[in-house]
Amino acid sequence: MSSAENQDSPAPPADGKKVFKRRGFQIFGLGLQDVIQFFFSGNASLAIIILILICFFLAKEAFLFFPDHHKDLKSYRQSGQEFVGFISEEVKAHTDLYSTANIAYYAEVNRTSGKEDTILRTYRTVLANVENRSAKTWNRLERELDALEDVVDDLEDHDAEDEEDRAEIAKLTKEKNRLEALTQPLRDKLRKEVNTIIEWEETWDLGVGADLPAEEDIAKIREAVLFEAYPDAEDEHPFIEEMKSVSKEKKAVVAEELAEFKETTKAMQAAIRPLKDLERELKKPADENKKEITSFSTAPQRRDAWLKGAEATDDPDEKARMRAKAEEVVIEEPDYEKINQVFYDSIAKHATLAAPLEVEMKNLYEQLPAPTEVETKSAKENLKRAAVFYERFQDRMVSNRKQIKEWRHDASISVPESVSAFLFGRDWTTNSSWHDFYGLLPLFTGSLLISLIALTVAVPFSIAAAVYVNQLASFREQSMVKPAIEFIGAIPSVVLGFFGILVFGEALRNLSQLEWLQWFPGFPMAERLTILNAGLLLAFMAVPTIFTLTEDALNNVPQAFTENSLAMGATKLQTVFRVVVPTSLSGIIAAVLLGFGRIIGETMVVLLVAGNKIKIPDFTEGLGVIAQPAHTMTGIIAQELGEVDSGSLHWRALFMVGMVLFVISLLVNFTAQKVLKKFQRI
Amino acid sequence: MKKSLAIIAAASLFAGVNAEDKIVIKGSDTLGAKMVPQLAEAYKAAGNEVTFEIAAEGSSTAFTHLQASPVDIGMSSRNIKDSETEAFTAKGMEIKDWTAAYDMIGVIVNEKSSVEELTTEQIEGIFTGDITDWSEVGGDAGPISVYTRNTSSGTYKSFQEMAMNKRDYGADTQKMAGNTQIADEVSKNANGIGYVGLAYTEADGIKAVEVDGVKLKPKNAKDYAIARSLHYYTVKGKLSDAAAKFLAWSTSDDKAKEIVERVGFIPAD
Repeated sequence: MSSAENQDSPAPPADGKKVFKRRGFQIFGLGLQDVIQFFFSGNASLAIIILILICFFLAKEAFLFFPDHHKDLKSYRQSGQEFVGFISEEVKAHTDLYSTANIAYYAEVNRTSGKEDTILRTYRTVLANVENRSAKTWNRLERELDALEDVVDDLEDHDAEDEEDRAEIAKLTKEKNRLEALTQPLRDKLRKEVNTIIEWEETWDLGVGADLPAEEDIAKIREAVLFEAYPDAEDEHPFIEEMKSVSKEKKAVVAEELAEFKETTKAMQAAIRPLKDLERELKKPADENKKEITSFSTAPQRRDAWLKGAEATDDPDEKARMRAKAEEVVIEEPDYEKINQVFYDSIAKHATLAAPLEVEMKNLYEQLPAPTEVETKSAKENLKRAAVFYERFQDRMVSNRKQIKEWRHDASISVPESVSAFLFGRDWTTNSSWHDFYGLLPLFTGSLLISLIALTVAVPFSIAAAVYVNQLASFREQSMVKPAIEFIGAIPSVVLGFFGILVFGEALRNLSQLEWLQWFPGFPMAERLTILNAGLLLAFMAVPTIFTLTEDALNNVPQAFTENSLAMGATKLQTVFRVVVPTSLSGIIAAVLLGFGRIIGETMVVLLVAGNKIKIPDFTEGLGVIAQPAHTMTGIIAQELGEVDSGSLHWRALFMVGMVLFVISLLVNFTAQKVLKKFQRI
Repeated sequence: MKKSLAIIAAASLFAGVNAEDKIVIKGSDTLGAKMVPQLAEAYKAAGNEVTFEIAAEGSSTAFTHLQASPVDIGMSSRNIKDSETEAFTAKGMEIKDWTAAYDMIGVIVNEKSSVEELTTEQIEGIFTGDITDWSEVGGDAGPISVYTRNTSSGTYKSFQEMAMNKRDYGADTQKMAGNTQIADEVSKNANGIGYVGLAYTEADGIKAVEVDGVKLKPKNAKDYAIARSLHYYTVKGKLSDAAAKFLAWSTSDDKAKEIVERVGFIPAD
């Protein structure tokens, strides 16, 4: 535009009218633009207010947990349940030892009858599969046979001499003939079906890597299965019966040989009995004490409840009755010293039982055969484990004897103690008939393990995919790959969870049976619902998050960097790996962190697929730990929140778990933001 | 989590259904998965113009719902707890207990398992975690995988009382959302064991073991160690006429008894 034209622009109208005037929608003196602006800023602040309220509510409910929990722990101590708990721990330590020795014994007894057992197992498996595969015919035949039996029974009830019965008999006989005619083809059909099924060994489903019987035995197994393929077959095939008795005989011979071993395990089992009796004996008063203490602490509430009930009703009789009930409620603190006397009295008894138990167990343990003296692998392994359990048993006896001696029902529980009972507690037991424990550790380790697996799998894949799509892929590829990956994020997690239960779990377990994959930790897996299964599904869910954020980070690398690098003569690959990726590293780290946040907060998939076993995974198996089931923090909230009374300790415990999750998410996001800020400065 | 949520709402809008004619039933999965929905269907088929809303999410939910939301009937596979009765009293409500049916809990193992029979002592050992290998109870060697219901289930609690001497479940047990899930996992795991209501023991791939030598059959209900009663709970004075009529029908009518039997329970008499 030239300045001449500028001067030609229209001058303001002489009558003083504005060129631009406010027009149209106005409210409270605000234009449309302003209203829209206020609408959005209002929404934003509303969201923040709601968020603050949620945080406040969560924090209030969660932190109220600690005083309640403290009271609960105190009642555990005051009722003497803690005292009994010490004895239970000793019994448990013994049971672990005894059980391992017992397993070792049985493994050893079965050592020689391997051949027969394999045959019997194969027979059972094949029969089960055959029944499954021909279930339709099988069930139909069974139904007809039942009906036939009824008719025959009916016929027997009728008397041919009786005039009236005759017509009935004719009818029933006709029915009987009809059913008989019907069952025959069904029998033939079933036989044919079974024949086809057992023809093909592939359909036997023996499990990959299972021992197979010898060729001639397989033929006999076929015969036996065919023989059994009648719902009304009464006896077992002679071959199977023979195998059963041979296996039994062989076991008997070995059992004779191992009589000493058996005696030792039996003596072990017997040795604990006195202590177990003491435990049972003491459980009763502890239980009663607990009831008394709970009743004392809820008495005011109960009285209020009746009074409130009396307020609420209109019926005068009812009112009087409820008032009377309220009066009846006794509020009297139990005499703790007195109710716990029984435990103090039993300290001496415990000592007289524990000392000989230790001596006897030492003897018995030494009588167990050494791992080198047994033949089977399982027996060897279990005897080695028994050594570990024996050590634990000894330690347990020593430490608990001290604890029992020093136990005081009125010892105070410090605040750090009660907090750490939650944060580092190893038990999460709810709805118990004894005492509920709220220990976070099993849930926390479960969540963490699953997240770590998910990240290990998701991070390399999604970062590599992002680098490829952003830097190396052609436009066509980009336009296909990007939406595909982002689409994963649109799959509802419950759908993925069902996929995990119905398809992926089974596939994973079958895969774990393959011979050439046995180097993989945890394989072969016994369970379908495991940490690994959940971790892999979560990895899949985290890919879009990490991929998209990484790609954003790569996009943010200034074009000039790339151009300079190329201009200096670097190849495309050199540019990508030496310039682009290092420059965006902080963005990538933030992407991984946000991916982690996404994973640890995921609920549906872990609830469905992780197997829900509330126990700290057994890390002695090394990396094999991933084949175990676990429970998670998110899962426990979803599973248990629906059932609890609002305001109860259990309810608050779940809120506290939620709080821990919230804090983790907050930390992760905070760190991600920090990392990102650093990146923006470049 | 399959919180089997069965909502039945098929009513003729033209008939002008009013609010009183809707019966809301919530609680136990054992009752609510098959029996009550089928009873509801039959009740409607018998010419009663009502609609049903049935949600089965565990016995504990029966009581929380009865207190708070407009629920007519709570289903529970266990007796009401003292603390729950108290909560009702606090709201000025009184609870009434109806016996819905009797149920036997079947202990199930994989069909391929060599174990056919267990004693109650062995069952206690397995579910509390004292016994960890099948060879200890006479089966082929293999680590036992234990599947139980989750803690909101009435079956969880009643099994603990009837078969486990009230001891706590072992830490190794896996908590599943419902009967079907347990049956599913056991059918897929040769070393699995779990428990389900009688009605679910017919599923493929599993078999019920004899308990103390007694077979799991309705006619053995008296001798079988792990049997219990199932309940309906209602709040006194809050029960609508339609719901009361349905309750009376479902516990007395022959057709209802037939249905109860068909889904694998033993009718209350």
